[in-house]
Amino acid sequence: MIDFSMYDQKEPKIAAYKCLKCGAIYYPAPMVCSSCDARRDPVTGKGWETFDLEGPCTLLSWTRLWNLPEGYSKKNMLFGIVEFENGLRASGQLEVDDPKTGMALHSTVVESDERPGDPVNVFVFTQ
Amino acid sequence: MANVGIVGIGHTKFGNSSEYDLSDVLAYAATDALEDAHFLARRKEVDQVIVGNMASGLFCHQSAVASALVSRMDMEPVPAELVENGPASGASAIKIGYMAVASGMADIVLVVGGEVMRKVTGWVGTDYVATMLHTDAEYNMGLTLPAFGGMFTRMYMERYGLTERDLALLAVKNHANGAKNKYAHIQAPCTIEAIADGPDASVVNTYVAEPLRMYSTCPVSDGAAALLLVNMDSPKAKGFPKRPIRIAGIASATDTHCVHNRKDPLKLDAVRIAAEKAYAMASLKPSDISFAELHDAFSILELAISEEVGFFERGKSFLAVRKGETDIGGRLPINTSGGLKSKGHPVGGTGVSQAVELVRQLRGEAEKGRQVLDPKYGMAVNFGGFGNNVVALICAKE
Ligand SMILES: [Zn+2]
Repeated sequence: MIDFSMYDQKEPKIAAYKCLKCGAIYYPAPMVCSSCDARRDPVTGKGWETFDLEGPCTLLSWTRLWNLPEGYSKKNMLFGIVEFENGLRASGQLEVDDPKTGMALHSTVVESDERPGDPVNVFVFTQ
Repeated sequence: MANVGIVGIGHTKFGNSSEYDLSDVLAYAATDALEDAHFLARRKEVDQVIVGNMASGLFCHQSAVASALVSRMDMEPVPAELVENGPASGASAIKIGYMAVASGMADIVLVVGGEVMRKVTGWVGTDYVATMLHTDAEYNMGLTLPAFGGMFTRMYMERYGLTERDLALLAVKNHANGAKNKYAHIQAPCTIEAIADGPDASVVNTYVAEPLRMYSTCPVSDGAAALLLVNMDSPKAKGFPKRPIRIAGIASATDTHCVHNRKDPLKLDAVRIAAEKAYAMASLKPSDISFAELHDAFSILELAISEEVGFFERGKSFLAVRKGETDIGGRLPINTSGGLKSKGHPVGGTGVSQAVELVRQLRGEAEKGRQVLDPKYGMAVNFGGFGNNVVALICAKE
């Protein structure tokens, strides 16, 4: 028998939000549009659409963190804040050899189980 | 509005109190404050108890600590409530206490702030503190408060030319002050040779969140502090042994939960707005302030906050530090207590501890060698989250 279950596995994504009334975009999700005051109902999603936050981005700042909290097995990790081409910004992990503020990066998303609780989707920015 | 004065102060020695129950640590500082006001025997005449605490549920597996405190102190049936506002819980408790008096609902309020953080390991503690970040967009990514401290420091360095040595100078200054403060967690001076200039400096002063090093990051501390507030216009205010120190201004403001959503992440709008409101309430301006306690959980914050509250131009504060202007004998002494760096940072207690330092300085009761010469007005800034909830306090001698 052929196991098709692997074809159902989706690549992890992180969503950004767009207000259909005025076109303003957000990450993470707001409950009210700060441009036109439209309400976002997280149950129905009516009046809003979501899109994957991904693609090319620019590094705004970064750090190498040495005192990692409980759950992380690495000695140190890189973190950064990036800005996407649509102007949205995000914070996440960084996997580059020689980080420099202003460098061009590409966003990827991985499923991580390092924090306590259920696995979560995490941004990893790479070159 | 009523004039609100501080007539009693209490403070534990910050450090490791992990063998004690949180209620006892809070009660120690509270008892100190009542004794200082000669009010211990009359403690049931207190109209209201307000406790500031950030995370007893996580750190101590204990909830409802305000109720526990009044019972521990034999103060029933005095009303008691808990205020939680992250690392600004302490100053928020003072603000709520002020509001209770100003509203006319209370004439005498006992404010206590404290935290016992060292019952858990540093790694677990760092995780608990990080839960105040945005759950999906920051905490789940693995980010912590030191990570934001590091990224903020890098942005400031790249824009304004601050160096790692400048940050070390702040540690030297604050450790010199803390070494003379009987309440400080770390009562030991450090030298610029040991932490920046000498051959072993990078080993002694290791990176925590690059470019932030250990001597630019506060320790994890246990401790508590307390204030007795009175309505200065009420007959009940008479008969306290020490002249009240007046709360001239107290205000708070908020900012975006996610740091990345601030148009300019180097601007701390909540600090600026809270300070502006406190100045307006006190009818004062930045040049009237004699000394200040600024929330240096990371040394960069002492600089950034000192600029936002109007003491220095943006990007220029570290030049004043180089010239010694913020030393005890300087034009505007900052973190006379040793700051969070040397005095320690029991998160929910820090705002009250800062107020205790303002009172000690304004009364002229600070230890020899760190008493500011005849100060008139002291300012404190208690910084919650990574700047998304900030309280500014101005106290006056008159
Ligand atoms: Zn809209």
